[in-house]
Amino acid sequence: MLKVDVDVYVDRGVCRLVLNGELDVETVAQLQEVVGKAGEHTLEVDLSGVSFVDSTGLKSLLDISNDWRQKGGRMLILRPQPDVAEVMRLVGLDRLLAQNTAPGGEER
Amino acid sequence: MQRCLECAKKEPDRPCVECRYFIQPSPLRRVPSPPVRVFLEDEHGRQYPAHILALNTTEFGLETEAPVPGRYVIRLQESLWIEVAGVPFKGKNNVHVFDVLRVHRKRGTARRLSREEYQLLAGSAGELVQEITRYLPEHLQDLVREKLLAEVEKSELINALKVGKVMKYERGRFRYLSGRADLDLPMEEAEKLMRQATRQAEHRREVVISADGQKVFDLHGVPFDHRSGGLLAFDITEVIEKERKMHRQEMQAYREAIAAVTGGRFYLVNGDEMEKVVSEGTELAQGEVRQTHDIPEARRVIQEALPVLDSRRRHAVILCLTEALANALKHAGGGCWQARQSGDTVRIIVQDRGPGIKTSELARATLMQHYSTKNSLGCGFTLMLYYADYLYLNTGPSGTALALDFGVVPADRLKQDQ
Repeated sequence: MLKVDVDVYVDRGVCRLVLNGELDVETVAQLQEVVGKAGEHTLEVDLSGVSFVDSTGLKSLLDISNDWRQKGGRMLILRPQPDVAEVMRLVGLDRLLAQNTAPGGEER
Repeated sequence: MQRCLECAKKEPDRPCVECRYFIQPSPLRRVPSPPVRVFLEDEHGRQYPAHILALNTTEFGLETEAPVPGRYVIRLQESLWIEVAGVPFKGKNNVHVFDVLRVHRKRGTARRLSREEYQLLAGSAGELVQEITRYLPEHLQDLVREKLLAEVEKSELINALKVGKVMKYERGRFRYLSGRADLDLPMEEAEKLMRQATRQAEHRREVVISADGQKVFDLHGVPFDHRSGGLLAFDITEVIEKERKMHRQEMQAYREAIAAVTGGRFYLVNGDEMEKVVSEGTELAQGEVRQTHDIPEARRVIQEALPVLDSRRRHAVILCLTEALANALKHAGGGCWQARQSGDTVRIIVQDRGPGIKTSELARATLMQHYSTKNSLGCGFTLMLYYADYLYLNTGPSGTALALDFGVVPADRLKQDQ
């Protein structure tokens, strides 16, 4: 189960996806579909409501990030839960993490 | 790295081929006798003669004046050439190890020699083909040799040439030409094969088991014209047994290597051992996976069945189950899983009936990060190796079984200890 909410901050060129549920082989397609419609410069993926991410989920985050960078934008991952953060660190995806980022991309 | 330099000073006359630092001794290491003569060609087309002193599927030990380091091409046949690079610190004097960079074949390239190409150099199939075709009519010798060599290249059973028999076929009748006269062939099948080969004017090959089930023959039909041709027959019973034995040896080598690099946590086990692994303890839960939707369902089921655990351990178990199930789904179209407990160990088992992991890919598939034969991040195994305490893998053409052990000190006891 995955729920994806989309908040767009037009003035800052930020599209924020707030994910709730599990990001895995079963639900990645949902995320990809929403991402496919986003057109802003910065894509923020808020994982605070995600209790579980598997390697397929990680792979799709990596793909989205690469895709966004190729188009000249960037993707940031916000607030992963500890278990998810550990898995991201293990496979070297912690570089996609935004440190101390407030809603809308403002530095705190 | 310094070893060969020191050796060159201390023992300049000691032959490298006998040294274990030259080419790693393994079942696939061969020392052709006499050494096979080849030419190294550099990028300017300059050729250096070389002798292959030793080889395995990824390295050559060459005696040559060609400068090292340097990149060269070895042409074996028109449709087969190999790019190699000299390794300066392996070997001494004019003997060096050359890594195989790329093998070019008529179709596609590879990073190592195929078993057949390697055998072609390691054995002496060429000479055998010469010998075996000696009694054919002169105008046909070259043609048949060329076809045979091409076939031999393809054949995984090249050693079989040592027990061959050659016959001439004409209008339904066979005449013995050369090879082992006493080789008792299944003539009915042989004639059928020759009829097909001559009628269709193309090489036919068939592996036939003798009527009593005791012998296995590799039959080749080479047409000369629409009613005559050559039959080459090989008794491959022993070869098949040898292949099996070699496979077992190879598995043993992998088994030791994988256990060593994982600090004794990851075991390749045989079928009997796996049987034991999957039946120890008591069952907590089980299920089946046929589609992606079954994976979150499996997580839900196992969550309910697991003993009380700290959240990190719990997460480790369900993540590893997910990864193992996703692998089974991707490579085998599905599989079944179970969770068992014995004492303070929870064991997750995932079994599938897929084609198995190829031996040659086993080490990479299991140990290399981000390696995957199908397009994915390929980190499933990395995660399982990180989170599980012990791993057991059994894989073969009839399926793969993976078991993962997690030490589970129950949460209430953790509290007591503190």
